[in-house]
Amino acid sequence: MVNWSVSDAHSSLQMVRVWDLPTRLFHWLLVLSVFTALLTGFLAPEWWLGLHLTAGYAIVLLLVFRFVWGIFGTEYARLSNMANATRGIWNYVRGLALLRPPHYFGHNPAGVFMIFGFLAVFVVLVVTGLMIEGGEEKQGPLAGVTTYALGHRAKEVHEVLALLVLLMIGIHIAGVSVESWLQGVNLVRGMIDGLMPRPWGYHIPTPRRARPLAAGSVILVLAIATGGALYALSTLPPLGIPPMAENATYRAECGACHWSFHPSLLPRSSWEQLLAKLDEHFGEDASLPADKKNEIARYLAAYSGESWDTEAANRFRLVSASDPMQITKTSYWVAKHRQIDPKLFQSAAVKSSSNCTACHKDADTGRFDDQRIEVPKASGP
Amino acid sequence: MNKSHKIALISLLSLSNVSMVLPAAADPARDAILATLAEEAKKADPAFGGFSAERGQAFFAAKHTGGKPDTPSCTSCHSQDPTAAGETRAGKRIEPLAVSKNPSRFTKVDEVNKWFGRNCNSVLGRECTAVEKGDFIIYLSGK
Ligand code: HEC
Ligand code: HEC
Ligand code: HEC
Repeated sequence: MVNWSVSDAHSSLQMVRVWDLPTRLFHWLLVLSVFTALLTGFLAPEWWLGLHLTAGYAIVLLLVFRFVWGIFGTEYARLSNMANATRGIWNYVRGLALLRPPHYFGHNPAGVFMIFGFLAVFVVLVVTGLMIEGGEEKQGPLAGVTTYALGHRAKEVHEVLALLVLLMIGIHIAGVSVESWLQGVNLVRGMIDGLMPRPWGYHIPTPRRARPLAAGSVILVLAIATGGALYALSTLPPLGIPPMAENATYRAECGACHWSFHPSLLPRSSWEQLLAKLDEHFGEDASLPADKKNEIARYLAAYSGESWDTEAANRFRLVSASDPMQITKTSYWVAKHRQIDPKLFQSAAVKSSSNCTACHKDADTGRFDDQRIEVPKASGP
Repeated sequence: MNKSHKIALISLLSLSNVSMVLPAAADPARDAILATLAEEAKKADPAFGGFSAERGQAFFAAKHTGGKPDTPSCTSCHSQDPTAAGETRAGKRIEPLAVSKNPSRFTKVDEVNKWFGRNCNSVLGRECTAVEKGDFIIYLSGK
């Protein structure tokens, strides 16, 4: 803790570099990535999932860099320096309560707690993010080892933490503004040029210098190790996407009047009910000779929703109580397509809400990836 | 009307199987289907004098009752013009029924039976008679 007079801080004090260039770059790249992730996450995740994932992976890289730089960076970038600074927290709180907060060269204890908080929350966010991507979307490095249920639980944590991050950013900005005002120092500019005023009479202990070579080699080793591990994981087949044999009878017979729905889109009981009354099939007679019907029944039973762990299978398994044979009557389907103009479903390019392939280019795989949605333009009735 | 010479030719055909005299795009498989239908028709009504394209056309275009409310007519899905493509209620394209546009029509006995079974039930609420089926095929073979 140091004292100096508030008024003449910037003008007459010697400016000293505390934040090294890598730390400053890290800070602003993190701001950019987190801002992108928050924006794409809260607004329309389906449409911006690609950008959201890119931002997430950027945060992973930034975090890895920051932890390594926290060991090998310059004095004020080091985790040990920051950990030391936390000891001043009671002093700081007491000073703040008396409206005479102490001033700091380098880290302010409250700021350090914020940084540690951010780092911890970001680590959990990227881990849960990878779990959602793997479990719910069956994409990314964890697709082969994460169930939908686990991914779904991770999503709850991810969402709560994302809200927490918003709150923390608010507190962080407020804290920086208040501190800048109380100290008469522009802390934001400090994070740009790296400079801080050296208080009167304050003797800077010899700062530890950066060891970029060590940092670089550790990052390289980590990158190869984690990259290799993630790559190895990503080569595993996605959990709950069984290889499915093509069935020509199903394709031809159940594809005569509409798209042959992917068997994973309804549970076994729904398929059984549907096949039991093909003569009363949504206002038409779609009856089949017994041999073909039995073949189709076996096929649908083998690959019904219960055999899959995709998001679509998990969600559409919860069929509507009144219309258990309709995918388009499940609450999930209704919720996901509520924002689509009903006229689009009748348009020449789509024709019917049950024509999933008009918008979902991967419908035949049962995956329904967000990245494969291509809604055609409504053109004429 | 019933005794038009076209019908006489068809009756002759169903007995002698001289494909050359068929109205359009003759095909042995289609002839066999027609022959079976003619036999059935004869069994049901010994006075059966042959199939009629005119009756077939009227049947195709008529609005029927007794079937399911969304499909009162064959044209509900097959379009008014049999040489044009139709569309199912779910929006899938149906190739034209006219044999001139689609020579493979009415040549696979299982397909023909399956779709007559379904569509007659949907449109009329009953099975079609052999005469109705034969008329339908004759009409579309000449289209
Ligand atoms: C004769 C035509 C026809 C045949 C053959 C047919 N369907 Fe359908 N099916 C329909 C129509 C019409 C609808 C209503 C769809 C619409 O409104 O777009 C429908 C709807 C459905 C739906 C509900 C879609 C939804 O979520 O709204 C399912 C599931 C379905 N069919 C499955 C099958 C299966 C399985 C078979 C094969 C055994 C089959 N269909 C064969 C005509 C047919
Ligand atoms: C007119 C285009 C259109 C049709 C037809 C359509 N969808 Fe969609 N679907 C969309 C759009 C757009 C979204 C993304 C909605 C959003 O979340 O903003 C979506 C989202 C989904 C999702 C969620 C994807 C995810 O990972 O969040 C599933 C599953 C899905 N649709 C299944 C179906 C099925 C099954 C059918 C056919 C019965 C169907 N859709 C028909 C446009 C369509
Ligand atoms: C609900 C829609 C619908 C209606 C109404 C309908 N059909 Fe069809 N019909 C179809 C579909 C779909 C096919 C099969 C697709 C194809 O063969 O291109 C088909 C095929 C057929 C075939 C098989 C043709 C072949 O290739 O051998 C016959 C025969 C047929 N329909 C007769 C009729 C008759 C007769 C009526 C009226 C009583 C009728 N259809 C009404 C939808 C319909």
